[in-house]
Amino acid sequence: MPSLREDGMAGERRTRGAFDSFLVWNRRVHYYLGLYLLFFIWLFAFTGLLLNHPRWQFAQFWPNRIQSTTEHTFESATTVADIDRARDVMRQLGIDGEVQWPAMQPPNGPFTFQVSRPGLVVDVKADLRAGRATVQRTQLNAWGVMHVLHTFTGTPAADSRNRRDWTLTTIWALSMDAVAVGLIVMVFGSYVMWFRLGTKRLGGIVALALGFISCGAFLGALRWLL
Amino acid sequence: MRRFYLITRDLHLYVGLFLSPFVLVFSVSVFYLVHGLAQRPAPERSASSRTVNDLVVPPGLAGMQGRARVDAIRPVLDQAGISGEVDFVRHLPGEHRLIVPVRLPNRDMVVSLDYEQRTATITSREHSISDALVYLHKMPGPHNADVRGNSPLMRWWRVLADATAYLTLFISVTGIYLWVALKAERRMGLVLVLAGAITFWGLVYAIAA
Repeated sequence: MPSLREDGMAGERRTRGAFDSFLVWNRRVHYYLGLYLLFFIWLFAFTGLLLNHPRWQFAQFWPNRIQSTTEHTFESATTVADIDRARDVMRQLGIDGEVQWPAMQPPNGPFTFQVSRPGLVVDVKADLRAGRATVQRTQLNAWGVMHVLHTFTGTPAADSRNRRDWTLTTIWALSMDAVAVGLIVMVFGSYVMWFRLGTKRLGGIVALALGFISCGAFLGALRWLL
Repeated sequence: MRRFYLITRDLHLYVGLFLSPFVLVFSVSVFYLVHGLAQRPAPERSASSRTVNDLVVPPGLAGMQGRARVDAIRPVLDQAGISGEVDFVRHLPGEHRLIVPVRLPNRDMVVSLDYEQRTATITSREHSISDALVYLHKMPGPHNADVRGNSPLMRWWRVLADATAYLTLFISVTGIYLWVALKAERRMGLVLVLAGAITFWGLVYAIAA
């Protein structure tokens, strides 16, 4: 029968083993997440720069857009809900994407909506009685696609009417969430790894303090400074 | 080579630690942005309103346009004790007024300046931390490019937001270098890079093609 002291030592070994295992996996998760999310991180970092520098000439996309307008006929559906009507017209015209509604439908005018996806904006004006639609397509170049990928969430913040309604928008939005979660896990994992490096602790405290002070200043403390 | 590895490892560590609060701000704000969750203040102005009299208004202010008008209005805002980024300026010629929304991450103010009477009425409201995060995430952004960066706050934030993007690219490249140096992790790492590439390009193709 093991003594109390032996029991205590075994327990300590188990705890240390679990902690060592945590440290190994924490390190691995840091590499693995970083490598798996690499292309997403590059996209969001690079397009963040593009969004903050709209005057960079090489990345201009709006002046280089290609627009075309076409007329189509379609069979009017008997559905009542606007989204079902729009989806039915889109299906018949071969359009796919996130539906965006105007602030209001013109009274007695055509049934109007916009369909968007990164690189393509389609404005549809449909005469539901006559079964005719005018479709204006605006095609963006690769810079435009990258630009929109950064902001493509399907939910304009101040617009309760426009809700995410395309499956691929939902998947893209969830992938944005996943990238954010991955980055947060990497950050906290890096704190653990850094703290274990005794000789780097002081330099790390300085770097971390500089980061938190400069970032925190913008989150509210500036009101006491300015 | 060993020296280069050690320097790269230290840079990855220290740059990463400095960058980490910014990465947290941008990452946490993603949830609010993607799902429209940020707590926005009520549309009606708060009760905190004050009037400032006897302001020195630059001549010809109302007739100015764009960045020149925003720059000219800055000393007037300083006199009224208002700091922050001017969003835009709206001129109401019939009322001899300029409406100037000014924003700090955690507060916004609307200055209604009567340039004939040289008085300004200022209303303000507080924003939640989530709204402040969202604001910082979106700023300076692509809109109103000619007036954006008209306050010291936004000029500094632009530098730091850019630095966050550049340094993120930097630590991702140094991270790849440090991973390649770990022979035991090469195979698994390569699998994950490929899996990530397939996920990324597959999604982009499905959404944009």
